[in-house]
Formats: sequence, C-alpha cells, structure tokens
Amino acid sequence: MNALSLHKKLEENAGLLIFGILLVSAIGGLVQVLPTIFQDTLSTPTENTRMYDAVELTGRDIYIREGCSTCHSQQVRPLIAEVERYGQYSRSDEFVYDRPFLWGSKRTGPDLHRIGGKYSDAWHRIHLIDPRRVVKDSIMPGYPWLVNRPASGAGDIQAKMKVLQGLGHPYTDEQIAAAPAQLAGLQEMDALIRYLQMLGTNRPTGNDPDAHAH
Amino acid sequence: MTSPISFRSLLSPTATFKALAEATPNPMRVLFSYAIWLLLLPPAFAWLGAYAFGWRLGAENPLLLSPATLTLISIGYFALLVFGFVTTAIISRWMASTYGASDSLGLHFALIAVVGTPLAVASVAHLFPHVFFNVLVLIPTMIWSMYLLYKGLPIALRIPPERGMLMASSLVGWLLVAAVSLLGITVALWASGIGPSLGV
Amino acid sequence: MEQAVTSAMTTSNTHLRDDSYLDDIVSRLVQFSVFWAIVGMGAGVYIAAQLVWPALNFDTAWLSFGRLRPLHTNGVIFGFGVTALMATAFYTVQRTCHVKLFAPRLAWIVAYGWQLLIVLGGLSLLAGWTSSKEYAELEWPFDIAITLLWVGFGIVFFGTIAKRKIKPIYISNWFYGGLIIVIAMLHIFNNLAIPVTLDKSYSLYAGAQDAVVQWWYGHNAVGFLLTGGFLGMLYYFLPKQAERPIWSYRLSIISFWAFTYLYIWAGPHHLHYNAIPEWVQSLGMVMSVILLAPSWATMINGVMTVSGAWQKLKTDPAMKFTVLALAFYGLATFEGSMMAVRSVNVVSHFTDWTVGHVHSGALGWNAMITYGAFYFLVPRLVNRPLYSTRLANAHFWLALAGTMLYIMAMWAAGVSQGLLWLSMDEIGELQYGFVDIMASMTSYYGLRFIAGFIFLVGAVMMAYNFYMTMRSTEAVRVRPPQVDPAYQA
Repeated sequence: MNALSLHKKLEENAGLLIFGILLVSAIGGLVQVLPTIFQDTLSTPTENTRMYDAVELTGRDIYIREGCSTCHSQQVRPLIAEVERYGQYSRSDEFVYDRPFLWGSKRTGPDLHRIGGKYSDAWHRIHLIDPRRVVKDSIMPGYPWLVNRPASGAGDIQAKMKVLQGLGHPYTDEQIAAAPAQLAGLQEMDALIRYLQMLGTNRPTGNDPDAHAH
Repeated sequence: MTSPISFRSLLSPTATFKALAEATPNPMRVLFSYAIWLLLLPPAFAWLGAYAFGWRLGAENPLLLSPATLTLISIGYFALLVFGFVTTAIISRWMASTYGASDSLGLHFALIAVVGTPLAVASVAHLFPHVFFNVLVLIPTMIWSMYLLYKGLPIALRIPPERGMLMASSLVGWLLVAAVSLLGITVALWASGIGPSLGV
Repeated sequence: MEQAVTSAMTTSNTHLRDDSYLDDIVSRLVQFSVFWAIVGMGAGVYIAAQLVWPALNFDTAWLSFGRLRPLHTNGVIFGFGVTALMATAFYTVQRTCHVKLFAPRLAWIVAYGWQLLIVLGGLSLLAGWTSSKEYAELEWPFDIAITLLWVGFGIVFFGTIAKRKIKPIYISNWFYGGLIIVIAMLHIFNNLAIPVTLDKSYSLYAGAQDAVVQWWYGHNAVGFLLTGGFLGMLYYFLPKQAERPIWSYRLSIISFWAFTYLYIWAGPHHLHYNAIPEWVQSLGMVMSVILLAPSWATMINGVMTVSGAWQKLKTDPAMKFTVLALAFYGLATFEGSMMAVRSVNVVSHFTDWTVGHVHSGALGWNAMITYGAFYFLVPRLVNRPLYSTRLANAHFWLALAGTMLYIMAMWAAGVSQGLLWLSMDEIGELQYGFVDIMASMTSYYGLRFIAGFIFLVGAVMMAYNFYMTMRSTEAVRVRPPQVDPAYQA
C-alpha cells in the first residue's frame, strides 16, 4: 500500500481525517508552547519583578481598557539603538505578574516599558488629557474622561486581587482588605499615572544608567 | 535599427505594441541599444540627487554620503535593475508556453522594456531624494506601467486579451515578489552592516 | 486519479423541499458577510483617518482609536471573514457530499447566533471590555459563546460529511474541517482565564508565557482562519469558475498536510528579540521559511488550473478576482516568510511594514477571493444574472488599486520607520528623535487612508450590485444530482 492509497483511506473516513488534522496541528504547540509554559524561569519572580499594588493594578487595567497597547509597545529589544533610546532592554522576569502581557505589536507611539520616572506626574496629566499640548505633532487621542471617573469605579479591586492571589500573585489578605482605602479619593487618571510611573523602574541591577527618552 | 522600441513608446504605446507584434527583435540588440540606457537613468539620477541634496527619509537631517559610497550604491542599483529586467523578461518568456504566447526572447525583452520605460523616465524624481516625494511620483507611474502591461502584452505577444490578462497577472505577481524581496534584502544587508550604520 | 468535482447546477424547481440543498442559509450569510465587510472596512477607514486627523477621536471614549481598532479587526475577521467562511462552507459541503445540510435548525442558530455575537461583541469593545490580546479581545462571556457556536458549526459541518453520499471527502472540506478543529483548539487554550466580573478576566498565563501562547494563537488565527479556511473556498470555487478540475491532486494533498503541520510553528516570529527563549524564536523562524513551500505549491496549483480556462475571463467578472487573489496570496506568503527572518524582522518589527503585510493578505487575498466566490455564488443562488457586470469590473479595478496603494504606502512608511529608529551616527548616538520620525509618517498615513477608502467604495458597489440582483427573489431550490456509482458511499 503506497502513500497515495493510504491517503485515500483518510479521505474516505471523516473520523480519521479529523483525528489526523488534530494530531498534526497539535505537534507544533506541544514542542514549542508546552515547554515554554512549564519553564519555571519564565514564571518565577526575581529581584527584578515588581508586583502591582492596588492603585497600579487599577491603572494597568485602565491602560488595557483604553487600548493603549494598540499603539504603544512595552518591550525594549536588546539592540544598541533601542537601549540607547529607551533604556535597559526588557527581561522576562520583569513580566512575571503581567496578566495579560502588554508587549504590544506596533509602535505608533514610543515604547513605554521604561517610561517610569522620565516625565513628571503633571506632564502625564496634561499629555493624557490633550497630547498636542505637550507634543505638537502627536496623533494620540486625548483621554479627558479619566479625570472625571473615580478609580474605585474602574472595577472591583478586591475581587481582582483575590483572583490574582489565586493565580499565584503574593498579595496578602491585609493588602486586599486595605485596597479600597488606597483608591479612595483618586481618579482613574491618578491610577493610570501611578502605573506609568512605576513601569520599568525596577530595572535589572548593576547595569547602565537609562538614556534620556528621545 | 531604431526598431519599434524607443522613447516613442511613451507617446504612442499602442502603436509600439502593434509594431512589436510584427517584429522579431534581437534580444542583445534590445538590451544594449535601448534597455541598458534606460536602466542607467535611475542610478544616475539617484547619484546626482543624493550628492546635491542628501537622502531624506522624512525626518529632519538629510543623510549625506561620500561620493565613493554613492558610486558603490549606484552601481549596485544599476546591477539590480539589469538583473531585474533580464529575469523578468526571461520569466515572461518561460510563462509564454502556458499562455500560448510567442517565445521569442527578444520580443519579451522588448515588451518589458516598453512597459518599464515610464518608470525609468519618472526616476528623474530621484534628483530630489525625498522618499515621500518619490513615492508620490512613482506610484502613478507604476499604475501607468501596469496599465501598459495589461494592455500591451496581448497585443505584442499576439494572444487573446483574456489570456493576456492571466499572463500579465502572473507577471505582476512575480514583480510584487521581486519588489518585496528587494526590500527584504536591502534591509537585511543594512542590518548586517553593509550600508548606513544601524544600532542593532 | 482526480476527485470528482460535483456539479449541482440543475435548476430543477421541484417541490421536493426536503432533500433539496439548504441554500437560504447561504444567501442570508452572504448578505451578512457583505454587511460586515462594509462596517468593518468602514471602521478601518475611520481609524486610518484618525491617524491623520486625531481630532476625529472627539475626546470620546467609545470613539477613541484604542477602542475602535479591535472593532475593525474583529469586524473584518470575525464578521466579514467568518461569516463568508460559514456561507461558503455550508454551500460547498452540501454540494461536495451531495446531501442537504445536517441539522438545519442548528445551522440557522449558528448563523444568526454568530451575527448577534458580532453585534454584542462589537458593542462590548466600544464599552472597553477587552483582554487586549490581539484577535482575542472579546472578554470571557463572548469566548464561551464563541465556543458554543463553533461547536455547533462543527456539528453541522461534520454531520453533513458523515451522511455524505460520495465516499471521498473533497479537499475543500479538509481545509474547512481544519479551520473548525484548529481554531477550536487555539481559541480555547489562548483564552483560558479566570473571570473577575462579567466584563473582566485575568489570563491564566502571564508575561513571556502569555506572549508565546498568544502568538501561537494569533499567527494561526491567520493560518487556519484567514489562510486555511479561504483555501477551502479557493479549492471549490476556482474549479467551478474555471470548469476544470484542480491541476494537481497530489500537490494539493502534500500541501494540505505540510501546511497543517508547519503553520502552527510559526507563531514566535512575532516575538523576535523579545524576552522569550531564543530557541523558540529560531524554530519559529525556520518553520516560517519552510512554510513558503506548501503556500506556493497551492498558488501554483491554482494558477495552473486557471490558465487553462482563460476564455471565461471574457464573460465572468468573478474570475478576475480569483486570479489576482492568487497573485497576492503568493506575495503575502512570500513576504511573511521573509519578514519572519531575524535580519529583516529586526527592522520591520513594530513598524507599519507589518500592517502593510497584513493588508496585502487581507485585501489582496482574503477580500478578493471572497469577492470572487460571492460574484460566482450570488447569481446562482437566485438563478438570475448579476445585475451589472460593468459595476463588478469597476469594483475589480478599485480593489486592485486600493490594495496596491495600501501596500506601497505601508512599505514606504514601515521601512522608513524601522531604519530611522535604528539609525546611529559615527559617534554612536541616535540620529532621529521618535517624535520626528512619527511626524514624517503623516503623508503615508494619508495615502493609506485614500487606499482604504478606494477599497471600501468598491465593496459598497458590490453590495449594491448584490442587492439589485437578489432583491425580490428567493434562493432557488436545487436537488442533489445522482452520484456516480464509483464514488458512492
């Protein structure tokens, strides 16, 4: 029985065909994806890993909601020009608590992984409300509604932290209990700025100082 | 000897294609008494423009390269154009049997030469080497060349218009692939150090 | 030994409703698909305009680019694309099996359910419900709904195959089957998440692991939905239009299995120089390059099939679309393999070149092959000639022009961006500021907006043409013809 007549068997049997497709298409994932999921170094926190506190987590979820990763990446590649433009290149252990990952696939605007501490809170506030007031040629949308919405309204923070705790994020029960109080009096804008200001600040130790943002 | 093909093709393309249908040009003649001169235009204009104005990719400072580097680049550009021209004509002739077209190599050389003439002439835009300006000039020119291809191929190769449409589409497919390969190869060469310095 | 290519175009209007093909559903799905094409592409044109005139965001949450972009991608992929795949899968599977669709009521639930899903899902995206994972943005309630509807789709499709009257399963059905099975696997695993509230969940995976899973999904959404499924479309409608069998049966078998095996590995080429293991990146790159072989084998199969049927081009506008779709399929698959190579990717990643590549596939291949199938299908569904061949021909030239302009604009923009971002001077300093580079892109974005607009106008013309053709008609009832005893199940 040659290959072609073997294939005829497959063509005449739906069950075999389905099984064949499933088997053949599963191989790539089994070899590439499965080992990656079980590779501990990619999911074990180190001294470069920083957990998001209640305010930062709220800010991060706002970043996700507004689709910021559509235009901004969070992945500095290990290339000379990128390190000079943005700072330390991104290491996998920095993303251990990123659910989901926000590496992005397009830079309409600059990479933001090392944006923390580069601009003042006031700059971020003005920029987020109307980008063109601080960057003349910007094509970024403005987000003025963030100023009018309380941070506590951006989702049930305790429920969120409990779920993340279940997924392995080391939040203590005290931290979860204290979370709503931390959000009190803050607007969504404040939470987002807090998130941006901590991005990438926990950089790997003993390395070059960050370059100025261009 | 001023065979059907010449710059006259710019003004009366249909007449040129019809004349081609009657002729059996010699491929070497087409290459050396017409095509080569045509293909010299873009690298020459590029050299002059880059020397006088510097390359602008849009952002502020123009990139000024030394005359030696520019000469190297222009020679490379010319070699690439000749390679592209010859391979396109050969591929066109390779496709001919599938579409019932004539397989006279000289005829295919001539066809590609006529179709490409507008682009070679429009490369005068390289005198001001600003990428967007060149894009603005060359895209309509490319549309014109494509129109010439679809219109002229069936006439010159003496096949029905529908077969011509299929063959022209296959050639367009080849040209798109060639263009994107050019992009990829250029970029890969620059990334490995052959070209302006990239911080990779 | 060639497969039997069915011909079920007997327009016998008998009243044996029970065993005639269920084609009302195909008609309805074609209409929905065209609707989503216009909505999805319209959204695309709007966001293209926003990149030139940011005032079009109107400082309004549900109009902002970040929320509209997934509306565009989901609208065209899951609205236009999947609905077209359902329509053509239902049409094809019936005719290649010579039986009426299995579980017609379930089929209608799937068809309408899917449309409801797109509408509600789209609204949820505007409201900011998003996972941010590309082409998997819809939150968990929708992920569950998708799974249920998809299982329904699978039951109808494979059920029809199970009760087929022709023994061999035609190649289109392998591709549609692959679409259903593989997308199910990808969708379920990538969207695994723990819900917090109705509108929010947290991914089971984090960081680098999430990245690898996401692009295993993302690339194969392209591979099995946008490529595989539409190859199923190609393998039925191309021989039907050309009225000749596929040029090489052997080539189609080899390509199918090579394709199904190789595509899955290509995901990590989205993550070159990112913080994932290097061996995964390299493996992804190598497999992406090898993938070119089955892709082009398929293109050649298509081109050789068509080349013998050139006379049809005189009378049939649909063929033109199919022919160009093949050329762009060749381009897009070549470009993809090339961009998967690290030395090209180092310049292209994060730039508009990627966007250009996506659209050479989406406009040049997906849209055009669908247009070709629809222009063939619609007149036959209602047994009436197409309202206007001139309009269809004009559509063809607009589609071609729009696609070419889009590609060229994005090539120029992307390559410029990539090179300028990496440019350094003799003393090792960056030559250009990010903002300056970004500002110089405006002209290209303007060209791209025009290109998209041209493409959209073509689609609107098609919609009008179909409306005028299908208006005041109903789908013709067609009975399955007799099966050659040699192929009987």
